[in-house]
Amino acid sequence: MRGSTQLRQRLRAHWRPVALLALAGVVVASAGCGRTAEVALAVPGAAQPSNFPAMVYGLDKNPPDAATFALGRRLFYDPRLSADGTVSCGSCHRAAEAFAHTGHRLSPGVAGRLAPRNAPALQNLRWRRGFMADGGVLGLELQALAPLTSPAEMNLPLAEALARLNADAGYRQQFAAIYGPGPIDTPQFLRALAQFVASLTSANSRYDKYVRHEAGSALSSQEVSGLATFNAKCGSCHATDLFTDERFHNNGLDRTFAIDSGRAHITSQAADRGLFKVPSLRNVARTAPYMHDGRFATLAQVLAHYDHGVQPSPTLDPALRPPGGRLGIALSAAEQANLLAFLTTLTDNDFLTDSRLAAPR
Amino acid sequence: MKNRRLLLPVFLVLATAASWLLGCKKDAASEPGTGSVSFAVANVVGTKALAFDGTAYATASGETFTVQKFKYYLSNLKFTKADGSTYAAPSEYHLIDAANPSSTSFTVSNVPAGDYTGVSFVVGVDSTATKADPLALTGDLNPANAMYWPWSSGHIFLKLEATATTGGAASPIVCHVGGYRAPYSAIVTASPALNGTLLVRAGQAPKIQLSADVLSLFDGPSPSSHIALSAFPEIMMPSPLAVQIARNYAAGMFTVKSLQNN
Repeated sequence: MRGSTQLRQRLRAHWRPVALLALAGVVVASAGCGRTAEVALAVPGAAQPSNFPAMVYGLDKNPPDAATFALGRRLFYDPRLSADGTVSCGSCHRAAEAFAHTGHRLSPGVAGRLAPRNAPALQNLRWRRGFMADGGVLGLELQALAPLTSPAEMNLPLAEALARLNADAGYRQQFAAIYGPGPIDTPQFLRALAQFVASLTSANSRYDKYVRHEAGSALSSQEVSGLATFNAKCGSCHATDLFTDERFHNNGLDRTFAIDSGRAHITSQAADRGLFKVPSLRNVARTAPYMHDGRFATLAQVLAHYDHGVQPSPTLDPALRPPGGRLGIALSAAEQANLLAFLTTLTDNDFLTDSRLAAPR
Repeated sequence: MKNRRLLLPVFLVLATAASWLLGCKKDAASEPGTGSVSFAVANVVGTKALAFDGTAYATASGETFTVQKFKYYLSNLKFTKADGSTYAAPSEYHLIDAANPSSTSFTVSNVPAGDYTGVSFVVGVDSTATKADPLALTGDLNPANAMYWPWSSGHIFLKLEATATTGGAASPIVCHVGGYRAPYSAIVTASPALNGTLLVRAGQAPKIQLSADVLSLFDGPSPSSHIALSAFPEIMMPSPLAVQIARNYAAGMFTVKSLQNN
């Protein structure tokens, strides 16, 4: 907890030189490719926010490019990538909802089948290590294969997806302009799609402006109190300005995990039963419902869970087993109210309303 | 705009490098002092050829089944001399699909000339290749071949889809074996006896004819490793049973039917 506070302070102290370096990097990279910095910046999310840790999926892995971004965006919103042509990635990951699916505990895929887990927000994926609540998917480019082929989601075999793209003259032209002539194959498809989802950077909330000391970025006294409580009681898991430690924890939702064993589904280790990836809290006020199965409809319910709803099990996180025998994180009514106020400062309206990220018209 | 033109050659170089690294089925020009070895696999069920036309087969305990799909990877081929020294052929990944005759043979090039008394191969894909950057996932390793678990990034090593028909009632058998993490790693190595000496010489292409027996998955090398079809659950993730099946096929699936040194 203290570590997280220190990290935030360090980030605040060092944000200016990092920002300059990041900007210089974009300019140099752009100049090297013979194009203007404006083009690079026209692709959303192509800069390192100064208060974020270093990228995992760096810009060099899939250099941002307006044409590839546009192609990825088209793919993301194309329902032809589902078996019956009714479901696109964007059906369950909505731009105005931080690419989550507000109001849906589980989202319907093809033929109204329900996906096994709540559709998570898609944001700041460049900073993620592993994907899915169980960490089963190893990289950003591979991630799209899971919902694409899952019978309860888009239910389209990869070979059929490629066949559909190759049968479309417009797509053939768009891919060829970027990757050269020849049939559209797995690498091009995954890289184009990855370029769009990698661009979904949320770093302009009121909280961000506050920690970056930007003009007019004051938080209310209640929000500041909430931030202090957050750092003291939540920040060990929801760490860094990404608000996740990118690790797996059992947060005491259940006593057994028969329906979904979480991380253990991937590792087959008893010690991983009931552990799930800590989600970011960015835009959290807009991404209800909550938890991997969408069981909590409101943030107030989430806080109530941590205060008095935590269930014991052998793998329950030590942070939820404080000395004294009472499970969970004790939060007074005032603390809960302050936390709720603070969490709304993580709403990033620039991100939620960025028309470049919405479905193309 | 220029950036797009730059990306093309970069991508082509990467793609070429990747396909070279991961091994195409095309014969590369042999280096001096090396020869090639051809492999051909005949897929069988006991004494019968494997067919997908509804032919009924029987396990050792008399249970009956028909087969709809049988696919697996062979990789990491290794050749052993009498003195115990080995040559590991780099970047060999071959997807054998029993329903696709052109997939059932392949040639390993650039094997150093010599007399080899043993051969071994992984039935599956090593963890390094299976976790590779998607850019490298082309050819036989392409996830589009439907031998890939998108939910737990990695290849399916062997896929058997069949129907148990014992007593007239049909019930599906879905057996997808994969996984590279302890304790349920299903990466296994088969080393069928050569019953002879493989003579690799420049300009020659000795041929190893293998048979691959579906029954080995159920019958296993010992009575304790026998798996009854009636108790056969749907296997679609790493598990103790998947590991048992992998051990069964490592031990008994492959037999060298003939070794031709021409």
